[in-house]
Amino acid sequence: MNIDTIKKEFPIFDEKIQNNDLVYLDSANSSQKPKVVIDRINEFYTKQFSNVGRSVHYLAVAATNLYENTRTSVQTYINAKDKNEIVFTKGATEALNLVANTLGQKYLKEGDEILLTELEHHSNYVPWHYLRKSKNIKINFAEINEDGEVPIENIEKKITSKTKIIGISHLSNVTGAILPIKEITELAHSKGIIVVVDGCQGAPHLKLDMQDLDCDFYAISCHKMYGPTGLGILYGKKKWLEELPPYQGGGGMIKEVKKDRITYGDLPNKYEAGTMATAQVIAFDQSIKFLESVGIENIIKHEKELIEYGQEILRKNNSVKLIGKPKNKGGVLSFTIEGVHPHDIATILDEDGVAIRAGHHCCQILHDKLEISASARASIGVYNNKEDFDQLNESINKCKKIFELK
Amino acid sequence: MNLKELYQEIILEHGKNPRNLRKTENFNKDAKGKNPLCGDNVHIYLKLNENKKVEDISFEGSGCAISMASASIMTDLVKGKNEFEVREIIEDFLSMIKKNPELKSKNLKEDDKTKLMCLSGVKQYPMRVKCATLSWHTLVSAIENKKKKVNTES
Repeated sequence: MNIDTIKKEFPIFDEKIQNNDLVYLDSANSSQKPKVVIDRINEFYTKQFSNVGRSVHYLAVAATNLYENTRTSVQTYINAKDKNEIVFTKGATEALNLVANTLGQKYLKEGDEILLTELEHHSNYVPWHYLRKSKNIKINFAEINEDGEVPIENIEKKITSKTKIIGISHLSNVTGAILPIKEITELAHSKGIIVVVDGCQGAPHLKLDMQDLDCDFYAISCHKMYGPTGLGILYGKKKWLEELPPYQGGGGMIKEVKKDRITYGDLPNKYEAGTMATAQVIAFDQSIKFLESVGIENIIKHEKELIEYGQEILRKNNSVKLIGKPKNKGGVLSFTIEGVHPHDIATILDEDGVAIRAGHHCCQILHDKLEISASARASIGVYNNKEDFDQLNESINKCKKIFELK
Repeated sequence: MNLKELYQEIILEHGKNPRNLRKTENFNKDAKGKNPLCGDNVHIYLKLNENKKVEDISFEGSGCAISMASASIMTDLVKGKNEFEVREIIEDFLSMIKKNPELKSKNLKEDDKTKLMCLSGVKQYPMRVKCATLSWHTLVSAIENKKKKVNTES
């Protein structure tokens, strides 16, 4: 795999950002887009645009086919059993809200418990939090260990006879820990517990096989997968999606509407109310094709090497403290510098064209646990190389110089 | 953009050794402020005497160099001023950070103005303006004894 060639497929790297070459280390936040995806949006709006699933005219039928093609591509890419297990949403956040809301409506009862982990992103906590009040549900948190992982024992410890749902990240957006979803699901299912996976960071970096993981729900953020913003995917096992009630009401999701009764459409329409992010869905097919052309095995290998290189180089840098050292780690390196606040780090790095994120990364519970208010995070995508980490290190040294650290 | 303008020596020095980073005993007004996007937080304690003069002011909290320096400089220079003067200084500072090229307040000494102008570097960094203003908004809230937390995102 030639990174230089891959990088050339992303037009943003031809741009000068404040007179600098862009060193983009913020892909966990959102990835950059390959030209094929950008072009596809333009092409669809220019030559093929129509709404989908409604009208019978030529453009509408063609657009509907394109839209459904992406669903099939996604099904294949994540190895879902059925095409109708793929629901498009406006983002992974909406996907998780959909699951929490509909499970809350139909499945959960007062006193039931939901088990999350301390490293969950707010989007896999806040939607469940709503059920605390509306349904009197209790939320428990499986603890992280000192390496920033959540071993399966820590999950098992917190399971009670009332646990109905386990909500977990596939890959932590702060420590980079990859959670053993398959094993956790096996354990959960043996106790009749539903498993909801936040796959925002897992999907761009790991091999996805829903039938192998066997989880009940898996939420995907398309803009982190070299795709357009405004689009997410909810994978849900067919039995659940059929059994659970609709999430939003509106056009496109109904079968029959009468003054005294309404019946809902079949899957996947039941969960796709209103006009969807049509152009984004159609362009996302190109993101899948891009990922397939590079090959997920190649991506995994490249990113593993790169993260190991980044870790090594930052470990050698005095005053830099890496957050977590999970044995099984994905494309995220979070760190702090003793004496420099992460926001000051980010501003100084930005001056060199190095884009990172600083803050709590929507993981306040995790940061509270680590007893820090914020951290700096360098996260990678398929286009990053070792030079990016060299530049990161150099810019960190500039921080240290400004703040007079050794 | 100019990092040297943002991270002037005075800022770095105040950021490293913030003045009045403690809790005033017998404070009679206080308020908390938070910048939820970056996690910066500040708690201002104010002791006004019967003539509404700032007898003591202090703060607790954590944040970036800019926010710590801003709180440090602010608490230093409002000490001894009366409520009316403090409000006028706050307004002047916030206007300077937003748009005015300089400080106009007659209640500020020249060297106080120089110190405050060191914070004007944030003007070139729109995402960092709220770092510089958090403690000032929180001070307003403390004076008014508002119970609601200052939140830079609302």
